[in-house]
Amino acid sequence: MNFTEAQWLALLPLLITGASPIVVMAAISVKRHHWWNATLGVSVLNIALLVCAAFLLGPMVGLLPPFVPQQITPLLLVDGYALFYMSLILATTLATGTLLHAYMEGYQGNKEEIYLLLTISALGGVVMACASHMASFFIGLELMSVPLYAMVAYPHKSRISLEGGIKYLVLSAVASAFLLFGMALIYSQSGVLSFAQLAAWASATGGGTVIALTGVAMIFAGVGFKLSVVPFHLWTPDVYEGAPAPVTGFLATASKTAVFAVLLRFFVDGGLYRYVGLTDVLTIIAIASIIVGNVLALFQGNIKRMLAYSSIAHFGYLLVALIAGGPLAIEAVGVYLLTYVVTTLSAFGVVTLMSSPFGERDAAQIYDYRGLFWRRPFLTSILTVAMLSLAGIPLTAGFIGKFYIIATGVNQHQWLLLAAVVAGSAIGLYYYLRVMITLYLLDPQRRRFSAPLHWAQQAGGVMVLGLMLLMLLLGIYPEPFIQVIKAGALSIH
Amino acid sequence: MMPTIIEICFYAAAAVAVLSTFLVVTGKNPVHALLYLVVSLFAVAMIFFTLGAPFAGALEIIVYAGAIMVLFVFVVMMLNLGEAVVQQEKLWLTPRAWIGPALLSSVLLGLLLYVLVPSDLHMAGATTISPKQVGIVLYGPYLLAVELASMLLLGALVAAYHLGKHE
Repeated sequence: MNFTEAQWLALLPLLITGASPIVVMAAISVKRHHWWNATLGVSVLNIALLVCAAFLLGPMVGLLPPFVPQQITPLLLVDGYALFYMSLILATTLATGTLLHAYMEGYQGNKEEIYLLLTISALGGVVMACASHMASFFIGLELMSVPLYAMVAYPHKSRISLEGGIKYLVLSAVASAFLLFGMALIYSQSGVLSFAQLAAWASATGGGTVIALTGVAMIFAGVGFKLSVVPFHLWTPDVYEGAPAPVTGFLATASKTAVFAVLLRFFVDGGLYRYVGLTDVLTIIAIASIIVGNVLALFQGNIKRMLAYSSIAHFGYLLVALIAGGPLAIEAVGVYLLTYVVTTLSAFGVVTLMSSPFGERDAAQIYDYRGLFWRRPFLTSILTVAMLSLAGIPLTAGFIGKFYIIATGVNQHQWLLLAAVVAGSAIGLYYYLRVMITLYLLDPQRRRFSAPLHWAQQAGGVMVLGLMLLMLLLGIYPEPFIQVIKAGALSIH
Repeated sequence: MMPTIIEICFYAAAAVAVLSTFLVVTGKNPVHALLYLVVSLFAVAMIFFTLGAPFAGALEIIVYAGAIMVLFVFVVMMLNLGEAVVQQEKLWLTPRAWIGPALLSSVLLGLLLYVLVPSDLHMAGATTISPKQVGIVLYGPYLLAVELASMLLLGALVAAYHLGKHE
């Protein structure tokens, strides 16, 4: 295969991301040293992010010529959409890296392998962001998931982490089997694997054979598991609770963003929106996710489990945009994912910093946070903003995301879905605010966990603080971000 | 329309695959289950042969039934080392343990012999795919998939190394 210069250039973020595990591995083989191994890996990822950002933002400020989408072999399509999601995934990975550094300090045993796993997983996410073919879709998904099993079970002496890892491994393997079988069924009918050819086939033949429809349904079952939408959500709370806090953050943000990015591309480029029955099924899934996620979150005493259920609900909201479709949908998904990632990362960032350095268990019970304001005002303010943003209160990022979702629904007259969104948000408000109230309750009797005194000087602390500012900025002045997302939108055929 | 001979072979092999896989899942003894898994993989290889993908079929036998399964059997046997190991070996040599896999494998053997007899059979798939064609596709349009699969193996290796490590 001969690549042109432009193709090599477009492949650069992927190549650099692919180089990062190699660099970390080489660094470990030279000398095992937590800080230096982690820093090296993170800096390589930083270069990849900078390249992505340059391609995406350069043309907007007039420094670079407009980025021409490049199809690199049938597998990958690097366009503005891919660049945006690649940047989002890489930025999330970097944030996770800084959190991991603070967290893993207390881990007895090999700390460095987790950066290897993290960078390989990020590569999988990057591949998914530009996948335009079933093969790259599947390989990207596996590349992201396989390291994640080990990351979830990383403290393998801890029973709960191991349990989470095994649950994720087994259920994820089942989901992958569904996905692969679905792809095989579609291939048996159409004889093509790339998304564009699939759309051409579907529009030429109607694509309505029962077998093809079964295939699409199986693909959605597999993807639904990864996105943990109802009824494929059962693994979520246990895995979220079992995984180390920064890994949970990664699982909730980077992995789901990547899966949703490829799902959206598959949905739009693969012409899936033509299947009317599929939209009906998705509507049921979305409403069930919103209701079940929000209602079950009410009963959680563990903040990680609560965030797990809340993420189920959030992906229900996101599906609303996917189902509604229309001109605004792709932009809405981009905005919602951006705000969700920033918010969720900062929430898990605070949980991580509260639990750092690694101890016998994470500070995840809500009572661990009782009266936190009187001990750690900065962390409290960050968690407060994160909770407000998750609830979708104006002036925070979450409001902008939810606004977009509702605007998309209103444009397309999806009143049933909108009713579910409104009801879900109302329920959500209760448990998000409950956490907030706990933070300010004056009860300093129990303080089993306290954040390190100089938390703000650590990279993780600075990062979380930055996320909080970003949350507020997104809520108050979202215009620049929306411009970037518009530059990275898919074109509907 | 009468099914062709190769189609009958395909369905017979598929039936063996489904049956033996069912017995893997329901088997209580790990070694017995693994024997059935070997049979199941052979049956899948046979399916590939009947579909006109001899290269994939051969790979299935070499990689799965050959290397990976032997590894599995060894690991399971090593884990079982102990006082009662001789007693257990005796138990495993009863007809109950091997008659099932042997029967299913003999079906596959029969199919294989049947197919090997020269006649004007042609594959159930439209054409036969040669190893050369597979190679050209793998290192042409799917080059990046091959490279990414190597990263996947690296990830799995690191994961196995970390989780399997005794400190």
